[in-house]
Amino acid sequence: MATRNRIRVFQSYRDTLNENRIPFTSSNDSGGPVIEMATTSFLNSNRSYAPLSTEDDLGPSTSRDAFTVGLPPAWVDVSEEVAASIHQSQVKLAELKKCHAKALTPSFGDGREDQNVIEVLTMEITDILRKSEKRLQKLSASGSCEDSNVRKNVQRSLATDLQNLSVELRRMQSLYLKQLRQQSEAHDGLDLEMNEKKSSFLDDNFNDVGFTELQMATGQKDEQFTAEREREIRQVLKSVNELSQIMKDLSVLVIDQGTIVDRIDHNVQSVSASVEEGFKQLQKVSLALSCFLSRYVSLMCAHTLQLSKYTCIYITHYYK
Amino acid sequence: MSYRSELLKKEVFLVELVDSIAMSKESMSHLKAVYFLRPTSENIQHMRRQLAKPRFGEYHLFFSNILKDTQLHMLADSDEHEVVQQLQEFYADFVALDAYHFTLNIAANHMYMLPAVVDPSGLQQFCDRIVDGISAVFLALKRRPIIRYSRTSDIAKRIAHEASKLMYQQESGLFDFRRTEVSPLLLIIDRRDDPVTALLNQWTYQAMVHELIGIQDNKVNLKNVGKLPKDQQEVVLSSEQDAFFKANMYENFGDIGMNIKKMVDDFQQVAKSNQNIQTIEDMAKFVDNYPEYRKMQGNVSKHVTLVTEMSKIVEERKLMLVSQTEQELACNGGQGAAFEAVTNLLNNDNISDVDRLRLVMLYALRYEKESPVQLMQLFNKLASRSPKYKPGLVQFLLKQAGVDKRTGDLYGNRDLLNIARNMARGLKGVENVYTQHQPLLFQTMENITRGRLRDVDYPYVGNHFQQARPQEVVIFVVGGTTYEESRSVALQNSTNSGIRFILGGSSLLNSKRFLKDLEEAQRIARISTNML
Repeated sequence: MATRNRIRVFQSYRDTLNENRIPFTSSNDSGGPVIEMATTSFLNSNRSYAPLSTEDDLGPSTSRDAFTVGLPPAWVDVSEEVAASIHQSQVKLAELKKCHAKALTPSFGDGREDQNVIEVLTMEITDILRKSEKRLQKLSASGSCEDSNVRKNVQRSLATDLQNLSVELRRMQSLYLKQLRQQSEAHDGLDLEMNEKKSSFLDDNFNDVGFTELQMATGQKDEQFTAEREREIRQVLKSVNELSQIMKDLSVLVIDQGTIVDRIDHNVQSVSASVEEGFKQLQKVSLALSCFLSRYVSLMCAHTLQLSKYTCIYITHYYK
Repeated sequence: MSYRSELLKKEVFLVELVDSIAMSKESMSHLKAVYFLRPTSENIQHMRRQLAKPRFGEYHLFFSNILKDTQLHMLADSDEHEVVQQLQEFYADFVALDAYHFTLNIAANHMYMLPAVVDPSGLQQFCDRIVDGISAVFLALKRRPIIRYSRTSDIAKRIAHEASKLMYQQESGLFDFRRTEVSPLLLIIDRRDDPVTALLNQWTYQAMVHELIGIQDNKVNLKNVGKLPKDQQEVVLSSEQDAFFKANMYENFGDIGMNIKKMVDDFQQVAKSNQNIQTIEDMAKFVDNYPEYRKMQGNVSKHVTLVTEMSKIVEERKLMLVSQTEQELACNGGQGAAFEAVTNLLNNDNISDVDRLRLVMLYALRYEKESPVQLMQLFNKLASRSPKYKPGLVQFLLKQAGVDKRTGDLYGNRDLLNIARNMARGLKGVENVYTQHQPLLFQTMENITRGRLRDVDYPYVGNHFQQARPQEVVIFVVGGTTYEESRSVALQNSTNSGIRFILGGSSLLNSKRFLKDLEEAQRIARISTNML
């Protein structure tokens, strides 16, 4: 879309105006443009950093020419931690994908180490996701209005990312599972075929005792193999369950796309609606109070004073 | 309009209105603030107060239209702490409803019907807002247009001249874009050239929802409808996000019913298969697809609710009966039959006041000059059936938009070619009696496409002139546009005639809004004549 940048013009106006606006700090003027420049840069550099408390405001702001840039509040650290863990899990997910692929390729040996690696990785990722989710719950708002909105939105955005990750993980696992099953079935099928071939071959050449034993031996081996696979499948299922729990918790936080809640103007309007509501309530209170006062002013002087004190506290509470 | 989830992806965590931010005293200097404002004097004052006591670490300001030098000065003066890091003009001083349709959402829309002497400053404000909106459109398109306007409309002429002054003189540097062979065309017309479209009942999806229920900023408020679950009380109807709506917004009611039924059937299939979960795999698949399923469910119930509600209204107000006569009045000749039909409906107790009013208005607009006696009879009958309901409004409408005041051939009975065309159409018969009406705009667009837009009817501003066909045309309707017209534009654009049409208006109308503007103008006109 078309834009036009007006910052240069603005800055030139601002600089001219600031130059003309000599601040009161230049009390010891030994004249000349040197001092003027010094004062303008003083204006800029006079930004002190102060830890920001989110409870009360900083009072009527500090002196006119000092602008405190506060450190962000504590919850920002939590959100940054969560963001870092999300990044970490993404890296691990990529690793896991490679391991899955490796484990699925037919190889010699029983692939037990591959299984272990996969198990460990999966557990790590699930762990990270679960911890991040717990930390994310901590972000739930307490405190002032705007701060809580920002927090809520940060929470939502991180929750969406976490949810996507857990969905991704589950999808990878179910895919792996499916492929495992396919492989083991094929393997069994192959074994049976081989058995049949063997038995027909052996049938011709050996006596019963011989190839029964052989058959049993191969049968046992197959049993062991399928038992292995069973165990792996059960393991994967367990992690699927854990992840589904996480997903359930996260789904509370995530907005459905395209719904009315997703619209910005709805969000803004509901804020203004609640402010208006609050104002209406205040009006009602003040009206009630004035009626009350006018009726009982003589009788209940002392009590009235008490009541108005409480109402004032109530009103200021509303303003917060 | 983007969505909150998209904003979150870009790390925008708080969205507020500029005046509510002003009320809070919290300091959030770890945040950067981006402001997007219209450059009105009120907003500039807000900004000045905020820059004097900054709450945020950095300020990035974007204005939706041209900033005057004085305004720039005022902002620079307040920015003592030098927190403004960016200041740009981002030309978007209008509300885009659909791909080819924008509106300015002007609240005091009725202004255009008042003579200039009644409220000169109010009228100036109205015109200024329109000129600003139009210029933002062309700055966004990066073109400077040739301007034409509707001959009989004073306000269209005024706006045309003021827009021309802005684009060719006052800010001619800004508008001096790379010249192409053919300049685009800006055509400014008056709602009163075609009041019929604003009064008619609608039967295509988007237009119908707006006519019967009401769409505001692509949202539909269903709070008054029966017992709906909380998340269905206000729904979003936007072709960007809703594929079903995009495919059906211009379809007529009968077809929509069928398509919704098909959608419900499809959904039931999915729901049934979801209930049939037997293995772990099925479960996993269900959980994976759950967000999609939920979205589909929400969408289906939204459309079913809308269509159910509209069917209910159609039944209550007997709209099929009323609309048939409306369409006859709008499209076909035959004064005698029309008179009879309207009289019958006026006598019918089931017809509501507003529908009676509209019928008489439509009759009056068409048969104003034929048989004045019968017209009088209808006025009297209307007054007796609905005595307190907006009295005298039909007569006021005729004063505003009567045959002498209109440009163009609204009923296709002035122009020889149009008469012939209408006869041909009558012989062919119509597909659907309820959607046979075509707004005057359709004809205007055809004329432009064929290079037959008459100078006599739509003169050029100043010494502008256009030899060849334009490739881009912005049509601005002073007084507001309707969804029937935006549908017409969308359909015209899809024919790939080589011209892209964009439609805009001072507000978005349905019959209720048009009548409200009329009433407000009537009230003010009465007061001013009493005073004079």
